[in-house]
Amino acid sequence: MNVDLTKEMPLIEGRLTLAQIEEIIAKPLDTKPNKKYFIALSITLSLLLIGATALLISFYYGVGLWGNNQPVGWAFPIVNFVFWVGIGHAGTLISAILFLLRQKWRTAIARFAEAMTIFAVICAAIFPIIHTGRFWLAGYLMPYPNQHNLWVNFTSPLLWDVFAVSTYFTVSLVFWYVGLIPDFAVLRDRTSSKIKKVFYTVFSLGWRNSHRNWQHYEKAYTLLAGFATPLVLSVHTIVSFDFAVSIMPGWHTTIFPPYFVAGAIFSGFAMVVTVLIFVRKIFDMEQLITLDHLDKMNRIILATGMMVGYAYGMEFFMAWYSGVQFEQFVFINRAFGPYAWAYWIMVTCNVVFPQLFWFRKFRRSIPVMLVVVIFVNVGMWFERFVITVTSLHRDYLPSSWGYYTPTLYDFGILIGSFGLFFTLVLLFVKTLPSVSISEIKAVADGAQPTHHGSH
Amino acid sequence: MAEHNKDTNNEKLYWKSIEEFQNDGVLDPSHYNEFRPGVKDDFDPSSSLNGISRRKFLTLLSASAALAAAGCTDYRDKGKLMPYNSKPEEITIGVPNHYASTCTGCENQCGILIKTREGRPIKVDGNPEHPISKGKICEKGQGSIMDLYDPSRIKSPLFNRNGIYNEISWIEADKQIIKALSELNGNTAAIISHRVFSPVALRLHSDFADRYPGVKFYYYDLFEGQSRVNAWRKCYGENSTPAIIKWEAADVWVSLEADLFGAEGNPVEQIRAHANRKDVKNAQKMNKLYAVEGRMTTTGMNSDYRLKLNTAKQYDFLMSLISDLSKQGVTSDLFSSVDFSAYDSSKLFENNSKDAKAFKQLVKDLASNRGKSIIYAGETSSEQVHILVNLLNEALGNSALYDTKTENLLSSGSASKSDWESLIKDMKSGKVKVLINYDSNPAYHLTADYGFEDALKNVGLVVSLSTLENESSFRSNYILPINHTFESWGDAQTRSGVKSLIQPVIEPLYNTRQKESILLNWMQDDITKFDAVAYHDYLKNYWLSFYFAGGANPDKWWFAALHDGVIVDTGAPDIKYTFSKDSGKDVKNSAVNSDGFTLLLTHSPTLHDGRFANNGFLQELPNSVSKITWDNYLSVSYNSAKELGIKTGSMVELDVDGRKLNVPVLIQPGMEDKTVSIDLGYGRTKSPVVAQAIGFNTISLMSKEAKISPFVYQNVKITPIPGKYELASSQDHYNYDETLIRDAHLKRHIIKEGTVAGFIANPNFLHEGPKHSQISMYPIFEYKDVKWGMNIDLNKCVGCGQCVVACNVENNIPVVGKDQVATGREMHWLRIDRYYSGTPDEPVTSVQPMMCQHCDKAPCENVCPVVATTHSPDGLNQMVYNRCVGTRYCSNNCPYKVRRFNFYDFRDHFAKGYYYQEPVNYAHNPEVTVRSRGVMEKCTFCVHRIEQARSQAKVQGRPVSGADVKTACQDACPANAITFGDQNNKESEFAKDHEHNLAYFLLEEINVKPNIAYLAKLRNTQPEGA
Repeated sequence: MNVDLTKEMPLIEGRLTLAQIEEIIAKPLDTKPNKKYFIALSITLSLLLIGATALLISFYYGVGLWGNNQPVGWAFPIVNFVFWVGIGHAGTLISAILFLLRQKWRTAIARFAEAMTIFAVICAAIFPIIHTGRFWLAGYLMPYPNQHNLWVNFTSPLLWDVFAVSTYFTVSLVFWYVGLIPDFAVLRDRTSSKIKKVFYTVFSLGWRNSHRNWQHYEKAYTLLAGFATPLVLSVHTIVSFDFAVSIMPGWHTTIFPPYFVAGAIFSGFAMVVTVLIFVRKIFDMEQLITLDHLDKMNRIILATGMMVGYAYGMEFFMAWYSGVQFEQFVFINRAFGPYAWAYWIMVTCNVVFPQLFWFRKFRRSIPVMLVVVIFVNVGMWFERFVITVTSLHRDYLPSSWGYYTPTLYDFGILIGSFGLFFTLVLLFVKTLPSVSISEIKAVADGAQPTHHGSH
Repeated sequence: MAEHNKDTNNEKLYWKSIEEFQNDGVLDPSHYNEFRPGVKDDFDPSSSLNGISRRKFLTLLSASAALAAAGCTDYRDKGKLMPYNSKPEEITIGVPNHYASTCTGCENQCGILIKTREGRPIKVDGNPEHPISKGKICEKGQGSIMDLYDPSRIKSPLFNRNGIYNEISWIEADKQIIKALSELNGNTAAIISHRVFSPVALRLHSDFADRYPGVKFYYYDLFEGQSRVNAWRKCYGENSTPAIIKWEAADVWVSLEADLFGAEGNPVEQIRAHANRKDVKNAQKMNKLYAVEGRMTTTGMNSDYRLKLNTAKQYDFLMSLISDLSKQGVTSDLFSSVDFSAYDSSKLFENNSKDAKAFKQLVKDLASNRGKSIIYAGETSSEQVHILVNLLNEALGNSALYDTKTENLLSSGSASKSDWESLIKDMKSGKVKVLINYDSNPAYHLTADYGFEDALKNVGLVVSLSTLENESSFRSNYILPINHTFESWGDAQTRSGVKSLIQPVIEPLYNTRQKESILLNWMQDDITKFDAVAYHDYLKNYWLSFYFAGGANPDKWWFAALHDGVIVDTGAPDIKYTFSKDSGKDVKNSAVNSDGFTLLLTHSPTLHDGRFANNGFLQELPNSVSKITWDNYLSVSYNSAKELGIKTGSMVELDVDGRKLNVPVLIQPGMEDKTVSIDLGYGRTKSPVVAQAIGFNTISLMSKEAKISPFVYQNVKITPIPGKYELASSQDHYNYDETLIRDAHLKRHIIKEGTVAGFIANPNFLHEGPKHSQISMYPIFEYKDVKWGMNIDLNKCVGCGQCVVACNVENNIPVVGKDQVATGREMHWLRIDRYYSGTPDEPVTSVQPMMCQHCDKAPCENVCPVVATTHSPDGLNQMVYNRCVGTRYCSNNCPYKVRRFNFYDFRDHFAKGYYYQEPVNYAHNPEVTVRSRGVMEKCTFCVHRIEQARSQAKVQGRPVSGADVKTACQDACPANAITFGDQNNKESEFAKDHEHNLAYFLLEEINVKPNIAYLAKLRNTQPEGA
């Protein structure tokens, strides 16, 4: 069999013309939302409403409505925070790191993943504010000059969080927007609606597709990619410091930063795959977001899942190897104590199920993949639950041990965060190109100069 | 220049003055300076206006705008703050006044000092002049401040019209009652009161009975100790009263189901005596405490030896003791008066069990400590058991420890069973026309088989004098609200030689009258002329005529007595206790031999007979053994629970001779199998909000015909019934029999213990082994002046919880309610940790008061994002409430979990804002911030007291010293187990104790450098085989 190994696999299936590509991507934006869309939106908005109601009631009566108690000061809100920040990581990884590494397959999924990053960070950023006892004083967490000379505490990881997350959000937003500029121009040129035209004209910032435009664009995009890359590592590292810098057994671990970053990418990819499975189907983008893309993401899920699994094992090893009674107890208690159910959900979902991805057949089977990635999402949420709650509920003094049971309000706010996320996703797919038109054209067949003349 | 001027003049000639016209070119300065000198102040251009830059002007403008805006907001506190028009002489604003008085919470009538601020009582401490309580007061006394300010207090006289209570005037109520009392015509009126320990009140009662023929007083208490008194009278003669024991002189203490550190006798006195004999500086002289009990008590937890004994087998136990003692060669002719031949310890305790070994040791110790040991049976024991105890003490020569200088006075005494029966018969027949519940609650306290409630229907007029609504007032025609003790005059005497006074510290808060004044008023011819101070005069006259030894100035003597609160006679005559030799002859075991369950009804140290049920502070104080709040529950042993197939939280039906009650179960380690116990005083049906639906009324299980004692019943049937019940525990949110967590506190060196013998042999035993030096990445802070610290002596501490209530009152700690305790949100800054080790069958119990350790390297401080918790230069870990945003990170990172978070505005949240109502706000300590929702808080080491001491020292021109400061917990600790002071004053006793051989710090290995030193407990046990 003669295989030409110098030739790359086509990233777009079906030998689409550039106009067809543009057509496919712009279609959801050009057409009016149908009934299904509204049904979907009403569902996500209902979830959001549940969350908003739960939150408002909590604001009125106090955080006592949640299950948090004396040993377990942090529970659902912080778990949700870490979960959502983690979800965001896949976007930046795909859009920035894979860009710098010249991974062309990223083009089809980068825009979407980035959008998810922003939405996930929005969801995440809500939690540190609402979880405080006096959320109306959240401004105290910002360093601002005042006549009392009161300053924030730079030794507190929570403060690092404030900076890390706000930086991350800003950079992600700018990066995302810069990537959107050429697409706004394309849409501006396509649309016949006057309102849309104004909107697209403003946001395309006078893009004329000139060489100079492109030159500046490429330079800015590369610079921003370079800027965003360290954030992929730093944000979740700093989030992990919330735990690692404390003195609680089960939290105070040096393995946390890499473990958290791997987990974040793991969960982020799982979420991207979850959503893309639906998006590519509903908006007929199977030729752009191909099974190859999903396959590649599943491989990353497998790899990061193994890292996370390694970290689980290593935590136990270190607890045993340290010889510290407190450490040993915390881990035995995790696996066999009152929260063993949460621990084993976590292990099953995060370590056992992804092993299916060793098989090409499963990596490319939509139903299998959907099940696995949903399990990974669940598992990763539980990972944060296990870390946060099981370490706190039995710490140093047995006298103060307790048990945490979430309340309906806890669940309501969690559901609300999913509602917010998916509402934003739905609004996004209908208002902005979910695949980068300009970038995907660049990787279409025939877009690149070749030595062979033509195809 | 002149040229130029002329030019202009030529062009356009105008001038204002000759000078100007003749101008030589120099402009009048006034042209520059519009505002000449003379136009002053407001418009001085050289100073104010020109001096202000534009920027400053804008700053001022915005600041004044902000001020105006802030000034217009709805300022929350609309109350007016006004200075005194004419300042009362005794009040200096900001400086508390202390008044000596007497606590009337129970029959001990301890001396107290009431601290008032600007006329409001805010705290109760013990009166140091009082020879019995010696400056300490129990949790009930500490918490009684909340009774004064209970928002549910009845505020004016009420008249019951068809079940609806309407307010009426005192005059109207008095008229009706007087009318009924005057028209008895051969019928009777009954006044039912708790026992009275006030000689003056007793005098008043007899005066009242003289005034209204037919009136009879009935005295009672739920816990009268009647079997002890009866037994004593059989042994020592009809007029004697149970002797006061010189506990401190006893080397061996044997408590037979007596919770000496809980509710038995005078716990404050007993805890102090015990602590004095558990002094590590005098380790050779440490006493030996044996607890022989069926349930687990605070005394049992702290005992050196604990023997489990079915409560119904106390008779057998004492007989076996006599038997084994005589086998040991202890002879006494008293032994021959009882027939102990059938008894043997081997029948009581399984061979070679821990109990059997402890029994052997007990026999040995009693035999070798004759005259220096004491056996003490509890108030629940039968008369026969008390007789045997007296006999044993006498035979062992222990009666030498009976105090001969002072004796118990029973004052009013109490009504006997036959008194009650005839009263109820009279009530039923209609002979009793008037029944007055005189600050008592017979409908709740009398056992159902008296049929009191039924008989009440035939009584013409029922009157209740009460502070709060209760089961008896509910059935009354009139409810007369009475003063709290803190609003009353009075006196008390429970022991010969000690007389104490009660004085009011605040005007009555409502339209209430002191109960004695009500009687006095009823004795007047014109009842409309009520005189609130009449009882004061009555009291004073009595004191002057009976106690005043004479002298020039009786008023001066009286005021001195009021000031001290107590007068003590020394040199009272020797009291002789002569044991009648035949006392033991007719003693028969009142318990039957049975395999059924024995039920023990117990005396709650917090609710007493139920009168403190509406006190949130006391309801929320965790039981010192079980750590359960807001409930009573059936304590069942581990094995019995297994046998019955029940768990903690299961419901069971108790069947005591046909009297049934459904109660929840707690598996209590250390319970004797086949013995179950439950507290009395709960299950108040007609009570204000706090006590509603709290616990189960176990008085309904009692019978007037009880065979052993009113508190012990045999052959009780226990049937598991479906249903779960949540018991809110402040501590055990887990099962102690899980292998994973067994003895965790020992493995973690949280509790370190030793034995007295081991300590004497090697005083440094605690600190042997390698020491690791610990490094820190933070610079070391040098504490140059004082550095505060605390020592807690675990030898002395018994875990009674009196410090907890004192802390709550001092620091305005909110009551959170049962649901919040169950969730794990209790707010107590100070808690008593209790740990079991060993098996649930034979646990060794350790207690440990736990509060903020004020770590030098406090892990809470560096994680707070807003610097709301900081360290002071004198070593305090501080909390800045108004900076706190409530991230709870500090609490998570606290290894001792002593930080407390306001998940709600708890005052608002508890019982729909019960403690937000007037006048509870008066109870707050003005020196301590009342925290709002969403704020973290914790023990401050009573920083307000430190600052008070510091400013006082400053005024006196000296540096503050450790001895100047006493924390609230330290003040309250009856054992003096808590000491506070300056670690840097190396010469002080405190600093030496801080570095004592037995001192250890918790979790030293995590290097947070705590500042509370715990002195390891030494158990006075014999090494195995010795």
